[in-house]
Amino acid sequence: MPNTAIDLHQLEAEGLSIKPKSFGRQTWERFRRHRLAMIAFVILVLLISSFWIVPILSPYGVREINIQDAAQGVSWKHPFGTDPLGRDLMTRTMEGAQVSIYIAAVVALISTAIGTFLGALAGYFGKWVDALVNQMINLILVVPALVVLLVVGIKFGGSVNQVAFLVALISWITIARIVRGLFFQLKEADFVQAARAAGAGPGRIIFRHILPNAMGPVLVQITLVSGAAIILESTLSFLGLGVTPPDTSLGTLIAESKGFIDVTPSRVLIPGSILTLLVLCLNFLGDGLRDALDPATRKTRQ
Amino acid sequence: MFAYAARRILATIPLLIVATLGLFALESSVRDPVAELRVSCPRCDQVAFDRLIDLYDLDKPVLDLSNPAESRYVAWLGNVITGDFGSSTSQGENPVSDTVFTRAKNTMILAIPAFFVIASLATFLGVFSAVRQYSKTDYAITGLSFLGIAMPTFFFGLFLQVFWGIWFHDWFGMRPFFTSQMHDDSFVDLLKSITLPIVTLTLVVVATESRFIRASMLEVVHSDYIRTARAKGLSERKVIFKHALRNAMIPVVTIWALDFSALLGGSVVTESIFSWPGLGPLLLTAIFAADVNMVMAIILLISVLAIGFNLIADLLYGVLDPRIRIS
Repeated sequence: MPNTAIDLHQLEAEGLSIKPKSFGRQTWERFRRHRLAMIAFVILVLLISSFWIVPILSPYGVREINIQDAAQGVSWKHPFGTDPLGRDLMTRTMEGAQVSIYIAAVVALISTAIGTFLGALAGYFGKWVDALVNQMINLILVVPALVVLLVVGIKFGGSVNQVAFLVALISWITIARIVRGLFFQLKEADFVQAARAAGAGPGRIIFRHILPNAMGPVLVQITLVSGAAIILESTLSFLGLGVTPPDTSLGTLIAESKGFIDVTPSRVLIPGSILTLLVLCLNFLGDGLRDALDPATRKTRQ
Repeated sequence: MFAYAARRILATIPLLIVATLGLFALESSVRDPVAELRVSCPRCDQVAFDRLIDLYDLDKPVLDLSNPAESRYVAWLGNVITGDFGSSTSQGENPVSDTVFTRAKNTMILAIPAFFVIASLATFLGVFSAVRQYSKTDYAITGLSFLGIAMPTFFFGLFLQVFWGIWFHDWFGMRPFFTSQMHDDSFVDLLKSITLPIVTLTLVVVATESRFIRASMLEVVHSDYIRTARAKGLSERKVIFKHALRNAMIPVVTIWALDFSALLGGSVVTESIFSWPGLGPLLLTAIFAADVNMVMAIILLISVLAIGFNLIADLLYGVLDPRIRIS
């Protein structure tokens, strides 16, 4: 092949010989430059892994009762103090945090599945499908979300999985709306028209052509929905309508300790701060992802 | 505009009926008073059971489509339309509307001042950080609002209690744990009781609103007519407050209406933490006591407030921005 050398030379000059970076790699590189989001990401990983590592290293069991050490404040022996039964609160807080993370993950999973599915159908097919999905959303939104959860929570709340499911029933709405909007835009795009002209059916167009292009904003929403789910779950549990003993979440721990707030405020402040830090990191992560996935719409910082 | 409003209201009514039916059925099935009485009072005679069945209408199903007139939900709905919300089963068989009315007044004592604090503070912070975009103050305000959004309301309330009730309790002499017990004495006492609940209500809403106002303001500040205003030599104060702010506030009106309706509906979390006798704690105790009439009355009030203010916001949007055609 006599022309290869020349071609390569020419390509080099046009900057075409550089292997193009994949979308994922470009996003990761932009995300890495977003300092705040990167810090949030690192803290989040450290926090979540500590929730699982600390109980293993801890000398105390989660349900281990030590009456002689009951209701203590912060000390070297018990860094987060103890509850009125003498259970070590560091171990219990970590267990509660595991539950909060688990619920956030389940909510993210279910609400992404439902939200993407219904949003895609509504956005792609429009007409009565869209009207139906819209009415479902309006039906849930006609009564404020927390009030709905309170009423439903007393009937179906209690265990961890039940609470996760209840919160997911409200949370899919935001994702469905985002996906619906994206599908409305993208279904008129040239590449979709081309696919349609080439004979692709609705299933192929939705899953192979539109959905991959909609995943960026959905990913951002997932981080935000998980943060909101953590807040909703802890609020429900705090009010006694979410996770209830013997199961523990961070909200349940705070609900148990609020009666002792004047004696051992640390029992409220520590789980509350962990809760805030978790949600804060998730929100910063979402912010960073938004900037990284779609450089055109970023507004917050350069 | 009137036709639009009427159409919107008509479209919401079926949704409201379906939603209240679902919540009514759920709330009715939480407790079985007859079974409870049988356990707690095994020697009670049939008269007591009959009275209970009569009180809760237990002889009728929640909704019987073949015979709707004999259903509890339809009976409740019919009474509500005539303005009768029934009597409470947890608050001493008083009419629900009386209790809700007193509690709603208490909620308004918090909600109205809170709204003015929120609106002015959020506007100030949002405009300030938009005008000084990328300055240190902007970053500080942005960081604080991220913190405010991330902090669950109940934790912020408890944090304030620890801060002012324990660490610095002798500064203002506030006893922030039972605010309800002191608010009849004098205006200063009332002010002391409502300060911390209002601050708690304010935080999350100010955080989200100031972000929204900042974004709206930034969009306006970079538009052509602002450049024109600057080019013709107007002072910066006039450019910002007369030309930019007025336009930037148009979308904010919607947010204000929604937030105000949410405040008027009572905050379950904040009012419970500070033991404020508003609608929130009433709803919570009614839910736990399975007091169906009370729960439904509060839910209806909250929903109607939200729907009404949402509609008002949309109508106002059309008035403030003539480019938007309401149809």
